[in-house]
Amino acid sequence: MAKTFQLEIIATDRIFFRGECEHLVITAIDGLLGIMAGHEPLVTVLPTGELKYMVDGVWKYAAISEGFIQVMPDKAVILADSCELPEEIDIKRAEEARQRAEELMKQKQSIVEYYQTQAALNRAMNRLKVSQKHFK
Amino acid sequence: MPNMREIRERIASIQQILKITNAMYLMSSSKLKKARKSLDATEPYFYKLQETINNILEHTPHTRQAYFDRRTNIPEDKRKRGYIVITGDKGLCGSYNHNILKYAEQKLDETKNIDNCYLFVMGQVGRMHFHRRMSGGGKASVDGEFLYTTQNPTLYRAMEIAKIVLDKFENHELDEVYVLYTDMINSNLQETRTVQLLPFERRHFGKAPDGTMKKLPKASFVPSPEKVMEFLIPQYAKGIIYGAMVEAFCCEQQSRMTAMDAATTSAKDMIKDLSLLYNRARQAAITQEITEVVSGANGLDE
Repeated sequence: MAKTFQLEIIATDRIFFRGECEHLVITAIDGLLGIMAGHEPLVTVLPTGELKYMVDGVWKYAAISEGFIQVMPDKAVILADSCELPEEIDIKRAEEARQRAEELMKQKQSIVEYYQTQAALNRAMNRLKVSQKHFK
Repeated sequence: MPNMREIRERIASIQQILKITNAMYLMSSSKLKKARKSLDATEPYFYKLQETINNILEHTPHTRQAYFDRRTNIPEDKRKRGYIVITGDKGLCGSYNHNILKYAEQKLDETKNIDNCYLFVMGQVGRMHFHRRMSGGGKASVDGEFLYTTQNPTLYRAMEIAKIVLDKFENHELDEVYVLYTDMINSNLQETRTVQLLPFERRHFGKAPDGTMKKLPKASFVPSPEKVMEFLIPQYAKGIIYGAMVEAFCCEQQSRMTAMDAATTSAKDMIKDLSLLYNRARQAAITQEITEVVSGANGLDE
């Protein structure tokens, strides 16, 4: 049994995960980051992406949208807008969101709208990617 | 003795009102259930967010991030203060709107110069209230383009609001930003509350209870503290606004439910009293009629 640390993943609409975890891999703004027990204190930002964590020797995957992580030697806290398991993702909804966003990207938009659509497109793509990769 | 017809009309009108209040009661109780659920779901995030941010700030090295800038060079009466006030969209919810509006007014009165106050009002009732006041002159100005409902709070709406105030802060259109909302302590206790959103309050927890300086390990920030803060603060603002919206919405439904329940009960009481009165009047009329008939018949006999 590897050394574990307390991991908390809290989304705005629920507590996604709370418990002991052996290994956590996140996508930070500048690349993948692996965290194990006894990691140095660290704060970083999580863009929309994928994360995986190991509980009892099993990797678990999740799609996450915008959040941040605080790491302490014995615990880690992730706060995110939303976080979903691959099997929870509604592929149809994500697909629709992607199409809607792509459609909007073709229209003339203000810069703010453009960024918002881009973020929406990102989220939809990420959901689709995670669900296709880990849930068939 | 009051007129029978009058009483009957009154009872009918009260019954109409009773139907309305009862329907509103049912509606708000089902909405409350929904709001409660989302509040319960959001609360862990809301509290954890505040806790984590405070914790992170303890470990943050000094940064020259714009959101931390307290702009101390601006004198007290020149500071532009922004208030996000969360009120209800509709009335008929007891003292909910009244309380938050009174609280907001009080906050405005406390400031040195009310002309430099900018209000971002969510909810129709609050908007109308401050618009009326504004036409009186010399009052805080209300952002007319800030049109957001408080019904069914969403993260998306919170994000838009956060973006508006953060942009204004960056452009020096605002120097301080507060959120005024109603907090739900338990189902029958509500409290109006203020949260300072900007500039980012950097509380110094550096001192241990015995007065010595705590040695806090500095956390590393990837890629850099400035970059992280640049992202973290909008995230924080969004979270705080969303949390406040959810709390306020839940409070509104709760107070509407209580108010409508009270209205329904008192309408029922009134109907009870009036029907007693009506029956009495009816009985009196019948008695009178009988007396008239009997005395008429007696008169014929003689």
